Amino acid sequence: MLFKIALKNLLGARLRTFLNVLVTAFSFFLILFMSAMYDGMLQHAKQVTMDTEIAGGAYWHPEYDPLDPLTFEDAHSVPPAAVQALVGEKKAFPVLVSQASIYPGGRIMPAIMKGIPPGQNIVNMPTDALSGHEEIALPVLIGKGMASDTKLEVGDVFTIRWLDADRTYDANEGTVVHIMDTENFKLDMGHIWIPLNKAQAMLAMEGEATYVTYEKGVPPVQNKRDWIPRDINYLVQDMEAIIEADKPGAQVMYMVLLALAAMGIFNAQVLSIFRRGREIGTLMAIGMTRSRVVGLFTLEGGLNAVLSAVVTLIVFGPILWYFGVYGIPLPIDYSEMGMIVAKRLIPVYTLGLVVSTTILVSIIVLIVSYIPSRRIARMKPTDALRGKVVA
Amino acid sequence: MENNSVITINNLVKRFPVGGDFFTALKNIDLTLNKGEFTGLVGPSGSGKTTLLNIIGGLDSPTEGQISVLGHALNDTSHSKRALLRREHMGFIFQSYNLLPVYTVFENVELPLILNKVDSQKREEKVNQAIEWVGLSNKRDSRPAMLSGGECQRTAIARAIVHQPALVLADEPTANLDAENSHHIMKILSNLNQEMSTSFIFATHDEKIMAYLRRIIHLDDGQITEDEKIENPKASA
Repeated sequence: MLFKIALKNLLGARLRTFLNVLVTAFSFFLILFMSAMYDGMLQHAKQVTMDTEIAGGAYWHPEYDPLDPLTFEDAHSVPPAAVQALVGEKKAFPVLVSQASIYPGGRIMPAIMKGIPPGQNIVNMPTDALSGHEEIALPVLIGKGMASDTKLEVGDVFTIRWLDADRTYDANEGTVVHIMDTENFKLDMGHIWIPLNKAQAMLAMEGEATYVTYEKGVPPVQNKRDWIPRDINYLVQDMEAIIEADKPGAQVMYMVLLALAAMGIFNAQVLSIFRRGREIGTLMAIGMTRSRVVGLFTLEGGLNAVLSAVVTLIVFGPILWYFGVYGIPLPIDYSEMGMIVAKRLIPVYTLGLVVSTTILVSIIVLIVSYIPSRRIARMKPTDALRGKVVA
Repeated sequence: MENNSVITINNLVKRFPVGGDFFTALKNIDLTLNKGEFTGLVGPSGSGKTTLLNIIGGLDSPTEGQISVLGHALNDTSHSKRALLRREHMGFIFQSYNLLPVYTVFENVELPLILNKVDSQKREEKVNQAIEWVGLSNKRDSRPAMLSGGECQRTAIARAIVHQPALVLADEPTANLDAENSHHIMKILSNLNQEMSTSFIFATHDEKIMAYLRRIIHLDDGQITEDEKIENPKASA
């Protein structure tokens, strides 16, 4: 019975309902969109890291610590035979890591020099740009961020100095053969990439590597000596830790949006109760109990949420779909700021997000509908009939 | 006669807090109203007519004294039981109609039946009958904003009588109407009183209403000053 009356009230109020529903639907849309953008950003960062850097996982030299460049000096050896076999089957590729100093335009800059097989196609890097430069002593691949920092362009020659296996400093001229546009700042900032065979020769580390990255789906090898297997879960844990650390920020954003939606509904509900004092009195006079009137107004609020969800789907659904497919181009290249952010951000609408947002918004709408409706329970029918509503 | 009584009031007092003091709106009211009476509470503004009507309707409580309506002692009755009493056995007519603006005439009249959980087929039947009584069959799908004052009040009357209550309380039902509409409304109510044996109590100071009443209770300064029985009202249905 209450449902029928509430629905009638809601549909009968036309403009008032339209405005309430539109405000709630807009909040609904904003919450969904912003959360989906955030999820999309994080998923993209994880995906980019996997595509361009991690692939299926890696075997690390026991001394290798990517966060401590001082370990690079000792973190090299010939990979275990089983790992080398993967390389031979083109299911993996080795990388040799070393510290270096570069001198672009006469300035000195520290760099991480990585030797990578130009023909690898396991990670999404334009390493093939390093092949076929017989006339060049040392072809070098750098990222856009590095190019910007060093002011290097394709064809520029600069000096590279390194410490080889015999602990002797050596130097050569490197030529920039390609500037890659990658979203993974970890491949870009402070990095120079050279062909693996050149790196092994320069460092006097023939056949050696610091780590070996293998493609997805490769089962773990048995004979790996003391090399350490690092699977995807391990390699993305930094990224997941960043995501986890960022969660409170996302939750605050979520709460702010929800609070805005709740305030809008609360205001509309309070206004509605003030405006409808006489109606409340009439309902009481014709025999509706106070608790039922409270229930009626709360139910109206709840139906408001349901209608808002429907309106969000109909009105804002196409917008959400459009952005979900085509994304939103970002005006700034965030990779230069040390962030993995897509140039075109694509929101990800997971079922969990849609369901949890719907449930949460509905609960909040019910609560903010109920709180002002409680005033009705304190109202004297005679006051309500005169349109006098308790503050 | 005692078994026939619809309302029994003994020594009723109603005080309202005003500032730090109290204003006594009703003083020592003793009153009995019987089934089928067509009664008016008559008096100037501030005489206590609406307050008494509200107490009879269970919308307000007396400060002192006893009141029994349709066999229920309202002093000892909870808010929800009073609401149930109103829902099942009473009808209200207000000066400013108090129709729900988003409902059509049909829906406004239907509301008490929905509250009384009458099934939809019976509801439609009764609503159509009530609308026909008040002569609004051609307006059943109109909203209050599209009706004249007289039509709004007739809708309110239909709503008050649709569930055939034992008692209808009308607070200044003709105050916002012109003479022609007032007479029309009173004729309808007088007819209903005779056809349905429903008791009617009016709070009014409108001479046009008084011409139809068969009992006039004069109130002044919160007290009954005269209780007048009229055998042959000046106007009749």
